[in-house]
Amino acid sequence: MNCAVKTERLTKQYAGGTKALDSLDLEVDRGEVFALLGPNGAGKTTLMRILTTQIAPTDGKAYVLGMDVEREGGRIRRRISYVPQETSVWGDITGYENLLIYSKLYGVPREIRAKRIADACSIMDLEEALNRRAKEYSGGMIRRLEMACALITEPEILFLDEPTLGLDPSMRKNMWTALERLREERDVTIFFNTHYMDEADLYSDEIGIINTGRIVVRGQPEELKDRVERERIIIRTREPEDARTRLNSLFDDVSVEGNSVVIRTENGERGLAELLGKITDADSIALEKPTLDDVFMKYAGVRMRENGENRRRKHD
Amino acid sequence: MIDFFRNGLAMMELEVRRIAHDRTELYTRAVQPILWLVIYGPIMAEVRAIDTGSIPYVAYITPGVLLQSTTFISVFYGLNMVWERESGILKKLLVTPASRSSIAVGRSMSAGIRAVFQALVIIPVALLVGVRFFPSVPNFVLAFILIFLSSAGFAALSVCLASLMKTRERFMGIGQAITMPLFFASSALYPIALMPKAIQYFAVINPMSYSVDAVRALMVSGALASLPEDIMAILLFDALTFCAASVMLRRIIE
Ligand SMILES: Nc1ncnc2c1ncn2[C@@H]1O[C@H](COP(=O)(O)OP(=O)(O)O)[C@@H](O)[C@H]1O
Ligand SMILES: [Mg+2]
Repeated sequence: MNCAVKTERLTKQYAGGTKALDSLDLEVDRGEVFALLGPNGAGKTTLMRILTTQIAPTDGKAYVLGMDVEREGGRIRRRISYVPQETSVWGDITGYENLLIYSKLYGVPREIRAKRIADACSIMDLEEALNRRAKEYSGGMIRRLEMACALITEPEILFLDEPTLGLDPSMRKNMWTALERLREERDVTIFFNTHYMDEADLYSDEIGIINTGRIVVRGQPEELKDRVERERIIIRTREPEDARTRLNSLFDDVSVEGNSVVIRTENGERGLAELLGKITDADSIALEKPTLDDVFMKYAGVRMRENGENRRRKHD
Repeated sequence: MIDFFRNGLAMMELEVRRIAHDRTELYTRAVQPILWLVIYGPIMAEVRAIDTGSIPYVAYITPGVLLQSTTFISVFYGLNMVWERESGILKKLLVTPASRSSIAVGRSMSAGIRAVFQALVIIPVALLVGVRFFPSVPNFVLAFILIFLSSAGFAALSVCLASLMKTRERFMGIGQAITMPLFFASSALYPIALMPKAIQYFAVINPMSYSVDAVRALMVSGALASLPEDIMAILLFDALTFCAASVMLRRIIE
């Protein structure tokens, strides 16, 4: 079995009765960056906590690197790392001490400890801050310290639960630059949870979209977006019927919606170039590309953003 | 087994590093025990209300006051672990190769370390108010090992209790609610023989009675007759609470 992660009808029902995972099937190949994308409450954290052997499933099976999460937890934990959604550093000691304690908890041999710590810090660009206490770090630095802790053991799979939650855009970008550096240097599978569509879109090789405890669709970002709908060129004009007649010869799908002409085509940019000159009386021309939100809409039947707002709540 | 040691040592090192960065808490928590030694002790000694044999009263209560303060710390420490589930630290620890039980025990042992440092802060004060300790280095070392073990046991006990609580608010009073009865129903402030019968029975199952007795024998009186029994009781207490905490950790995780 060469899957990084494989689940079969995986189900988790919490004591309160919430069914967080509902017969979920998923396979993730080794060496991939896999994004589990879904709104808050979809079950992302629950799945990750089962895969990292923190909690047991109610039903079904889950394998990590071919090992059963329920029976071989100890062996799995030796080969993976995990950064939870919530902050997980000790704020009252320095960044370096955090790394040192983690390396000891993992039993990293003394001879290679210093090198492992130095390598992890250089990937995460942390060298300067190491002797300050972690509670003085910015949000982005804390995240990078957590990542560095996770890298010390040279894991085969890195599980990241919402790695950029609460970070501002420039910090998010830094984080992903560091993760890309990591992928260049090491052969590691990255499995991350997110509810940011752009992040899944930009940084993953494969996306699984999850809603109410099930994978609703999975594939490469481009492939998923291709499946929803073609790109749309929307031309606002006072004479839509007139424009349509002129454009019919150029495009095979032209329609009038209100006082706009809508063209559906594979390649919106080329379409724009072609229609220049044909249209002289347009008020505005817009190009709309399908987003992952459209993908989510198509397969889950609701908009992801609204869904996220509705279900955001805290529990213990 | 290696797992246990590795994890325990790393957790204790963490605690030492924390203390090295910030010692304020050690000092603020020393205030209450110091009041017992500086005010209550001398006053009671003056009125001679309690017969403590050949041992001066302040010296008699010193072990009890030490253990009351270290127990208090460990109880809070255990409760803290439950708060930690709201942060990611516990989750992250659960994904290290260490077993569940070594995590529970490791946390309890770091509570033990803090307790030892707390005791070290109080002892100079005892010396200042004129307590004469039994002058033996091995006795002191053993006494500190027992303080460490009994505090770790109380931390594990409080992990169990805390896992039964749902909200953070309920934890607040609980530290007091546990330690004070243990303190008063032990030989910390007066010999057990002076207590009402019913409370004497409680004192027999009260782990603090045994640790107070052992520390008093080692550090103050030097009379070691009941020491083996005390040590057995402390080890039994640790074994039970460590097992229970390992089991209860489950509830905290889900
Ligand atoms: N420890 C828990 N106890 C009870 N219900 C929980 C627990 N954790 C999560 N849930 C519920 O399970 C569902 C999925 O939650 P979660 O896995 O945290 O989703 P996500 O990470 O996608 O936001 C939610 O409805 C949530 O309220
Ligand atoms: Mg989550």
